[in-house]
Amino acid sequence: MKDFLKSNSVKIFLSTVFVVVLLSVFTNSLQANILSSTVNSVTYPLSKVTAAATGDEKMSHAELLAEYKKLKEENAQLRTDLVNYYDTLTENTRLWKFYDLKKEHPQYTIIPSVVLRRDSNDEFYSCTLDKGTTSDISVGDPVVSENGLVGWVNEVDLNTCKVVTILSPQTSVGAIDNKTQNTGIITGSTLYCDDNLTTFTKLSAKHKVKEGDIITSTGISGLYPKGLIIGEVTDICYDTYNSSHYAVVKPYDDIRKIKDLAIITDYTGQGEVLIKNNSGTKNE
Amino acid sequence: MSNVKFFRYLAYSLEILVLFVLGSTPSLFPEIFGATACILVALALTIAVFESEVPAMFFGVACGVLTDLGFSNSIGLFTISLTIVCFILGFCANNFITANFLNVMIMSVITITALLSLHFLFEIVIKGYDNAGVYFVNHYISRIVQTIVCTAILYFVNKFVYETLE
Repeated sequence: MKDFLKSNSVKIFLSTVFVVVLLSVFTNSLQANILSSTVNSVTYPLSKVTAAATGDEKMSHAELLAEYKKLKEENAQLRTDLVNYYDTLTENTRLWKFYDLKKEHPQYTIIPSVVLRRDSNDEFYSCTLDKGTTSDISVGDPVVSENGLVGWVNEVDLNTCKVVTILSPQTSVGAIDNKTQNTGIITGSTLYCDDNLTTFTKLSAKHKVKEGDIITSTGISGLYPKGLIIGEVTDICYDTYNSSHYAVVKPYDDIRKIKDLAIITDYTGQGEVLIKNNSGTKNE
Repeated sequence: MSNVKFFRYLAYSLEILVLFVLGSTPSLFPEIFGATACILVALALTIAVFESEVPAMFFGVACGVLTDLGFSNSIGLFTISLTIVCFILGFCANNFITANFLNVMIMSVITITALLSLHFLFEIVIKGYDNAGVYFVNHYISRIVQTIVCTAILYFVNKFVYETLE
């Protein structure tokens, strides 16, 4: 044993541990480092092939039937809504003329992207996208799908970027209930993330948030564009620990499995008030 | 280094690269109880029991770096812990214990449970997320079990590689 402790193996072992610890400190202190860029560059082509090879998940007959029934019901509801929409549109047009109100449409710069990897260590369904600094992606950029906000860019290197989703407790998005105008914070929860749900917290005691209400981003801080759809309220709960109400929000996409995303790199009002702390949490 | 040894190390390296890419491909492996296996951890342990301590350690470093980089852009817990664990496993497998299936499984159950519990401690508990216990039950137990199952499979794969290219 004494001989072993003096052997070259132990010297190599101790040197390697020392180098690994140094590397750990070095890589933790930088946003994008040469090590991760190299690994991502080496594995990028292979990841691209395997990501493209895996198709969407197959559904069983029972699941398809259930979805068909659900869509049929939604379709009927939408037809009713459409009639209401035309009434509203007529009224709205009249009001527009009457008040000569201007509506601003923020101009987004959108970079379409594909999910390259979902690592087994992902705790809250974060993923790696196939766009990096070469596509003008930067840390903090909002990530959306066609149905609304999905998350934000947490780390970026040359060819890839990592996205933290709205299912993660790391995310804090200023949000508003469009129906009742109640405001709060969208943040992920360890209790709900597995069911593709997030929470609408910090609600006032006299809030009027109800099931079915649509939650959108407020855009106050300039970190997320105003009016991005986040999801629909499915339940109102009471947090006994914080003595406050919160709403459970279901995003319109299944964030756990989504593959096609887009990154908003520029929009009207971006970065007007930027509050970012150093811990990697994005707060609005 | 002999040719046979070179090809054995090359086989291990390819195995690491392929399993890293496959393991991180979206929707390829189904999630069971909200988690998938840490394949590279299982791979590092099964390589370590067939090799001497220094090569075992370097393969542990490689698997650890890739596992850490899959999770974030920095290296940390898995790299450091797999470096140490693989060195110890390589040394023990060469001097104290026989690398048979039962011994490897006993070592992997202890090591994987300890490693993933440490990961849980650093990533969930210390960060102060609510309901950490629920999260451990829902995610980590499944991940630990799956990783141990992967170890059993990869043991036979790496035993085959080792015996073929010995």
